[in-house]
Amino acid sequence: MDYVFIITFAVTLVLFSLFERVKKFIYLISLQGVLLFGIALVNLLHIYTLELVFILLETIVVKSVVIPLFLMKMMKHNQLKRVHEVHVPVFYSIVITTFLILGSFLLSSYVNIPKLHTRIFAIGFASLLFGIYFIIIHKNIFSHLIGYLIIENGIFLFSVGIGSQMPVLVGLAILLDILIGILIIGIFVNKVKDRFNSIDIAMLSQLKD
Amino acid sequence: MLFDMTAIGIALALVLSILFPGIIAIVKAKTAGRKPPSILQPLYDVIRLFRKGTIYSSTTSIIFQLAPLVYAASVATALLFIPYFGGPGIFSFDGDFVFFAYLLGIGKFMMIIGAMDTGSGFEGMGANREAFYSLLIEPAFFLIMGSLALVTNHVSFLELFSALHLNTHLSYLVISVAVFVLVYITMVENNRLPVDDPRTHLELTMVHEVMVLDNSGFDLAIIHIASWMKFIIFGTIIANFLIPVLISIYIKIALFVGVQVAFAVVVGLLESFRARNKIAKNPQWILAMSSLAIIVFLTTLIITSKLILN
Amino acid sequence: MLVYFFILALLCSLSIFFVKRKEVTNILLVLFLIGQTALSYYAYISIDQTDSLFFKFEPIGILFSWVLNLLSYTSVYYSRIYLKQHSNSVRQESIYYGLLILLIAAMTGAYFAENMAILWVCIEATTLFVAGLIYHDRSKIAIEAAWKYLFITSIGVAIAFIGILFLSIVSGESNFTGFNFGNIVLLAKEIDPLVIKIAFVLVLTGFSAKMGVFPLYSAAIDAHTVAPPPVSAFISTTLMNVGFLGIFRVYQIVAQTDAIGWANNVLMLAGILSVFLATIQLLRIKHFKRMFAFSSLEHMGIVCIGIAVGGIGYYAAILHLVFHSLVKAGMFYQIARVNNTFNSYWIKDSGNYMKISPVDSLLVILSLVLITAIPPSGLFVTEFLVFKAMFLNDNIYLAILALFLLTIILFVITRKILHLLFAPQPDDYSVKPSVDSNISLIPVLILFALSVYLVIFPPPVISELIYSAIGLLK
Repeated sequence: MDYVFIITFAVTLVLFSLFERVKKFIYLISLQGVLLFGIALVNLLHIYTLELVFILLETIVVKSVVIPLFLMKMMKHNQLKRVHEVHVPVFYSIVITTFLILGSFLLSSYVNIPKLHTRIFAIGFASLLFGIYFIIIHKNIFSHLIGYLIIENGIFLFSVGIGSQMPVLVGLAILLDILIGILIIGIFVNKVKDRFNSIDIAMLSQLKD
Repeated sequence: MLFDMTAIGIALALVLSILFPGIIAIVKAKTAGRKPPSILQPLYDVIRLFRKGTIYSSTTSIIFQLAPLVYAASVATALLFIPYFGGPGIFSFDGDFVFFAYLLGIGKFMMIIGAMDTGSGFEGMGANREAFYSLLIEPAFFLIMGSLALVTNHVSFLELFSALHLNTHLSYLVISVAVFVLVYITMVENNRLPVDDPRTHLELTMVHEVMVLDNSGFDLAIIHIASWMKFIIFGTIIANFLIPVLISIYIKIALFVGVQVAFAVVVGLLESFRARNKIAKNPQWILAMSSLAIIVFLTTLIITSKLILN
Repeated sequence: MLVYFFILALLCSLSIFFVKRKEVTNILLVLFLIGQTALSYYAYISIDQTDSLFFKFEPIGILFSWVLNLLSYTSVYYSRIYLKQHSNSVRQESIYYGLLILLIAAMTGAYFAENMAILWVCIEATTLFVAGLIYHDRSKIAIEAAWKYLFITSIGVAIAFIGILFLSIVSGESNFTGFNFGNIVLLAKEIDPLVIKIAFVLVLTGFSAKMGVFPLYSAAIDAHTVAPPPVSAFISTTLMNVGFLGIFRVYQIVAQTDAIGWANNVLMLAGILSVFLATIQLLRIKHFKRMFAFSSLEHMGIVCIGIAVGGIGYYAAILHLVFHSLVKAGMFYQIARVNNTFNSYWIKDSGNYMKISPVDSLLVILSLVLITAIPPSGLFVTEFLVFKAMFLNDNIYLAILALFLLTIILFVITRKILHLLFAPQPDDYSVKPSVDSNISLIPVLILFALSVYLVIFPPPVISELIYSAIGLLK
């Protein structure tokens, strides 16, 4: 059943490399939050109510509502251009993304670690690699934040795939940490925009020997 | 009995192919708030073209005259390959979908070299784009068909569709993505909106229309008819995806007509609400379809346990 | 007990944020520092006891927390001097102190975390607070450094989290103790060697951004350049100890399995490459704070090498961290005074410091002797032990290579410091009356003296702590 969510998650990764508009990135991040909830729900059905509520909070509330709303606000504040520039043409990005997904699935079928759900490991791995790739090809720091969010989603998938259940307290601490981290990164994006009048990464190159 | 069903199917398809462009035009007019043309207006246009004489440029050779005929013939032949209502097409053999794809390819190839033959810069440009887009969309079609072949363990149109069961969650996903990709393939093959705007009058941004600038009269008419039939061909393939196997023949016919009309409406709506892509963005959108097709393929690998994940 | 400490830190920091009055800030700072000292002492008397569910007072944590405690006092002292000269507003000042307190609390949490996930949480928290402190002077370059540090380290630490997840795979089912370090160590033999290797590489890569070694060292270097010197002192010392602790915990787990040889090779590679890169970068150095930052890279490289060779190397590596913390923090405090004379950290703007300020110059010379590991520096002893271990372990060629690189570093740093002391003054330089009183030299002197004293008359408690910290490795 969770394959439906996993495959859809893979499709969102392709769409990330296809789309070039900031708004669509934010919608996709929101969609990924819902998909993560689906995957977590199917795989962690046997857990207690408290933990279920926590996962609901983590995925639906934070990942697909709070963070996208925050990103929307940032987008308005920074008057981001609709289209983001990239180093690699979208055409090649799609090819690379497809091979990343295909490769991580094929690789995972060879991974033989007990207690590891390789199907979730595969998509988590693809998400991690794609997040890093996304950061590398994009020229502005808002997109870098999006890439960081994709990586965080990948890590969430890893933790589901390993089936490790942390105490809710620890989970809460991690969630809080990540959330504050994203907020601070976002605030810094705003500061960069205010001081440099641009969020192009090329602006941030004064520090060198 | 089965052969009769196929005959009925082909006849129905031909009739629908005349109505198809009319339905699209009506939907577009309705959504734009205009007074819709008659559903038979495209037919009248073609009849008008048939009455006109054909003019050939003095720079063209025999290829230019041959191209429309080969194109129309290839599409008409392709129509005979598709199964209707669970029965075999006129031609049916193992691997017929490969033959089908390259039959359409031959027609396209003739059109391209016909356009080149005129020596016009615009037509050369159009031919160039047409060839490039076809090249990009081809993997998507074969990946979709290959995925189905993998699921069903069959390699002909007929067996593929009759063995297709909608039994797992994943196959619903496969079918829906496959239909989506096929609709997009249709749009590319017929040079419709996200890729190419048939209404445009600027040669620089045209793809298909600019290729047939020099065709006139009879040639232009059969090119139009061929592109109608192309719509119906892909509509039939989509219908085969969607129509269940084990139901009575009358419902099947009704569903068949319904799917085709719905398809035309969808195309009309898509064309009403979408802007044409920038020419430079076309390749990446078409390639994304191949990418989706690869994900469908991946999914079928999982369905068929070729790729074992736990 | 730690919970109360965190609550104290949070209360102090929030009050400083919101009250914004100098007297209140001073009182709360003193209160917090006393609380921290009390905690360090409490940790020592309740050694090896679990605290606040997820924490445990382990020997290595206690040792580092002592160092942190000492440096907290000096850093707060120098922060006061720094802010008196550079601050624009009370608001900025209260943000600075509030973040400083939170940073110290987060580092303390990281030192004592028993649960690996909580360790991760504390480390990520230090990143956030340090980024705020780097941004202190609100300049363009500060934004750039803070952004780079925040972003690169966040991604690195996120990657390290995957490594920690992999380690928990063996004890995933048991709910409450699944991520506990002690638990994972016990079950380490059952973990798939491949998983262990992946986890180790991920954790090393991720926390290298914190520890400041190869591969993700660059963010920390930029952060040093821009941060206020008291914060640089933290980034370069206690924060690197935090990163080291993260890697060391996983190393201890790896040490229980057969993958230890492989992990040693990886660490050796990271160490040698760190020293090598530090050498390359130092050859074209133009900026004093960057020079110290690359010197930290070199010393962390030596620590990695020490861990990799094992045996006496373990002991030497941890002791090296302690001495390096003392010396490097003192150097950063001292360079702030140099900056007050020249108004620049660029080497080309400096010169003739010996004439301008002889007393400060003596301290600079002392710091040069200590950081380049010339006897009687404590670093000399630890580096000597590391290389001894290398020779004993048949790593002769690598040892020679490392010694060669260290010689180059010694040459470069000496040359730059001598330029500061004796080179002719730059033409456009006008002597500015020094604003610093010589009293502010005393803490630096104490740190330097301590680093010498500890090696000549080593108190048994430190050796005991280190030996029990590396007890799992034998």
